[in-house]
Amino acid sequence: MKRRLLLIPFLILAIFLDCFVFPSLFRSGMRPLFVLSLALAATFATKVQDGILIAILGGLLTDLFVNPYVGLSAAAYLIAVCIAYGFTKKHESARLRALFGSFTAAVAAETVIFVFSLLIGARFDAYRLLRATLPSVILETLCVLPLRSALRAKEKDGSIHR
Amino acid sequence: MRKLWKNRPMWIALIAIVLLIVLAAFTANGRNDGMGDGLFRSAFAPVSEFLHGVQSDVGDFFVRVFTPSKLIEQNEELKATVLEQQQKLALLDETEKENARLSELLNFADANREMRFVTASVIGRDSNPYIDTITLNAGSRSGVTEKMAVITADGVVGRVSEVGPNWCRVKTMCDEKMRISVMVQRTRDEGMLGGLYEEDGTLMGTYLYYLPGKADVRVGDTIRTSGIGGFFPKGLYVGTVISVNEDGKGTHDAIVSMDIDFLHLEEALIVVGVDEAIG
Repeated sequence: MKRRLLLIPFLILAIFLDCFVFPSLFRSGMRPLFVLSLALAATFATKVQDGILIAILGGLLTDLFVNPYVGLSAAAYLIAVCIAYGFTKKHESARLRALFGSFTAAVAAETVIFVFSLLIGARFDAYRLLRATLPSVILETLCVLPLRSALRAKEKDGSIHR
Repeated sequence: MRKLWKNRPMWIALIAIVLLIVLAAFTANGRNDGMGDGLFRSAFAPVSEFLHGVQSDVGDFFVRVFTPSKLIEQNEELKATVLEQQQKLALLDETEKENARLSELLNFADANREMRFVTASVIGRDSNPYIDTITLNAGSRSGVTEKMAVITADGVVGRVSEVGPNWCRVKTMCDEKMRISVMVQRTRDEGMLGGLYEEDGTLMGTYLYYLPGKADVRVGDTIRTSGIGGFFPKGLYVGTVISVNEDGKGTHDAIVSMDIDFLHLEEALIVVGVDEAIG
């Protein structure tokens, strides 16, 4: 329980960045999902339950803050966490595992959001997809490693107890 | 079963995914207008409004932090320029419309060279919605005197009732107490014309009465000033008959519709003189 409570500051920061900072900062359409990175990092660093919790809470709050629909981000993040969970068992190297797992999961999450957007009437724009989504996925993936390290560090110094 | 239970987090996640996708589809913009969606949106509307306000403020703050100050200045300058241009455009549009109206009046004045006019703009209206009187920006200094006729290309407006040095008040044709002598252009039947209102105060038009016993007035007939009384020059267009009240022997009275939009009247001509040979 204490471990999960300690994740809250990370979650608040991630939601703040996703909802308030990134939409204003990246005008080109790029929109890195920091909550997704945090959920993936938690999945790799601590337990999959933490990843699920962050995905649901963070996704729902993000949707409430910025999206015209509620639940999509949470669903996409959850799918990503499930995929990442699969990677926690398959690969040997922890870093490599986290990197590949995060990339695959981020691609999956962005794909879910993209497909859903198409279904509710968004126009297919390949240029925008590559220009905005690909850098977002790369940033999300790159954010997972330092976040995972930070969560691991907390775990080692006793802030987070398994 | 035990194996499945061991993967409990995954099962929870899968169920949550399905539920969340259903929720997202349910709340997707424009996809569902059902009662549930409406209730959901209504319930969250105040929260959503507040959050969007916060998001906007925080967003603006970060835009200011991360955007070079020169760009912000440039943006402000551009906004000011756009505003200025919009104002100029609006002024130009207004001037264009005024030009069109004045051209129409000029054409009318050219076509009626026997009359001498003073052009005046409407500077005041009765606050009464029926607009019985209007104020024009021409007065005794321009040669305007009481009882002079006021007209536009669309017909007779009314009569000057009060004159100041640089203004005059005009009692319009809408006034119930206004009486002018008119004639039916087709039959030359003469009668009197005054404002006509419904019981609830709605202006119906003007009321043509005191017609001769065997007058033959029909819907669509043109009504013009008769020149009797000397206030209005003869032959000025007043309006068109829209309904008649007859008993088989002849027309008793009729309702005449005017073409002038008194609520939007902006310029008018004051007839300050008429050449005697014609008038």
